[in-house]
Amino acid sequence: MHGLLTRSISLAAIVLTLVFYNSTLDSRAKSEEIAQLKAQAQAQQTENAQEGGGYADGTYSGTGQGFGGPISADVTVQDGKITAIDITSHDGEDGSYFSMAEQLTDDIIAAQSTDVDLISGATFSSTGIRDAVSDALEKAVQ
Amino acid sequence: MEKRENMNAVRRRKSAHKWVRAAIQIFFFIFFPSVFTSAFSGVKYIFTQLGTGQPVEWTSFLSALVTICLFTIVFGRFFCGYACAFGSLGDALHGLYTIWCRKRKKRPWKMKDKTAAVLPVLRYFILAAIVLLCFAGVYSRLQGSSPWDVFSMLQALRPKAKGYIAGWIILLGLLACMFFSERFFCRFICPMGAVFSLIPVLPVFSLHRDRETCLKECSACSRICPSDIELPQCGTAEVRGDCFQCGKCIDVCPKGNISTGIRRLKGNEIWFAILRAAALAALCVWLGI
Repeated sequence: MHGLLTRSISLAAIVLTLVFYNSTLDSRAKSEEIAQLKAQAQAQQTENAQEGGGYADGTYSGTGQGFGGPISADVTVQDGKITAIDITSHDGEDGSYFSMAEQLTDDIIAAQSTDVDLISGATFSSTGIRDAVSDALEKAVQ
Repeated sequence: MEKRENMNAVRRRKSAHKWVRAAIQIFFFIFFPSVFTSAFSGVKYIFTQLGTGQPVEWTSFLSALVTICLFTIVFGRFFCGYACAFGSLGDALHGLYTIWCRKRKKRPWKMKDKTAAVLPVLRYFILAAIVLLCFAGVYSRLQGSSPWDVFSMLQALRPKAKGYIAGWIILLGLLACMFFSERFFCRFICPMGAVFSLIPVLPVFSLHRDRETCLKECSACSRICPSDIELPQCGTAEVRGDCFQCGKCIDVCPKGNISTGIRRLKGNEIWFAILRAAALAALCVWLGI
């Protein structure tokens, strides 16, 4: 190993490589952090949307598939909370089943979320109502 | 009369240089015995981190390594010659051997020139092997076979035999080699020395020889040099990376032809040795070694 110049150049090359290596890892870690934070923010947002804290005021319509046909619902949001759910059409539903399923609207307002248990015995109708409300709420997310 | 006085003065000066160096070596051996291991751990750390794709952070090992390397860039391998515990131990052992040989009126064993010319390559292989093992992340499995770990434990007065048998055997083997051959470890085995040989050394404090006034066929300097070095010509920027500043050549030259990059500074002045030792000691304290 001779030559002051050769050695100095090799040493400089080694140091630069290490610095470059470190900064690459650093920027990779940073972008990972950014992605993580974004995911967190996203999760937070969906959480908020579900909790009802993230809804814009107004009335929104949505549709879902019930037992025998589509079910339409109007959802009213006031002060960021779901205050009323109005089933506007439920042609395909059998009367008794539907009246049972209608209780779902109370549950949804109480929970401020569509993540509620379906009414047993009126599964399809409650699913239809729930989907209609979800559909409407999607339009309400801030 | 005058000539004899001169010779006595010269002998006393050589003796003084020898004792100053020995004193500095003892000082570092007692107070800063782990500089070598800390600096080399820095090397191992770098490659372990590279191997696992993790960033190389400013640990104490890395600082030790960088500091000692910077010191070496300026002052050459002063560390090896004066502060390394392993080197000092080797010098002590070989000193005993020389005295023993003198008492028995026998010539000390000298390695064949050809062997001595080729063996230094071994250092680079050992360095490469250790570095690759660190990179692959398997170095820790060889824990028990490191003679340096055994040596550190000895110094800390906590020798452990269990699990370190290989290390003990290697250490004793190295000590035996150091006994018979001056600075055997430093010249042929030491991976830290291999690292030092790879970094640039500024010519300002390194030794050079003014061949103009050399006696014909003298080569006393190369013969007394523990590393068999032929010093580069004065005035050039060339530096011999294996010179660890022991200063024996300076003392032995009958014409005083050897000096550092600064003409008036010979390189073995007592104040110069103490100054460098103090600087190195201060750095070690600052590093917390």
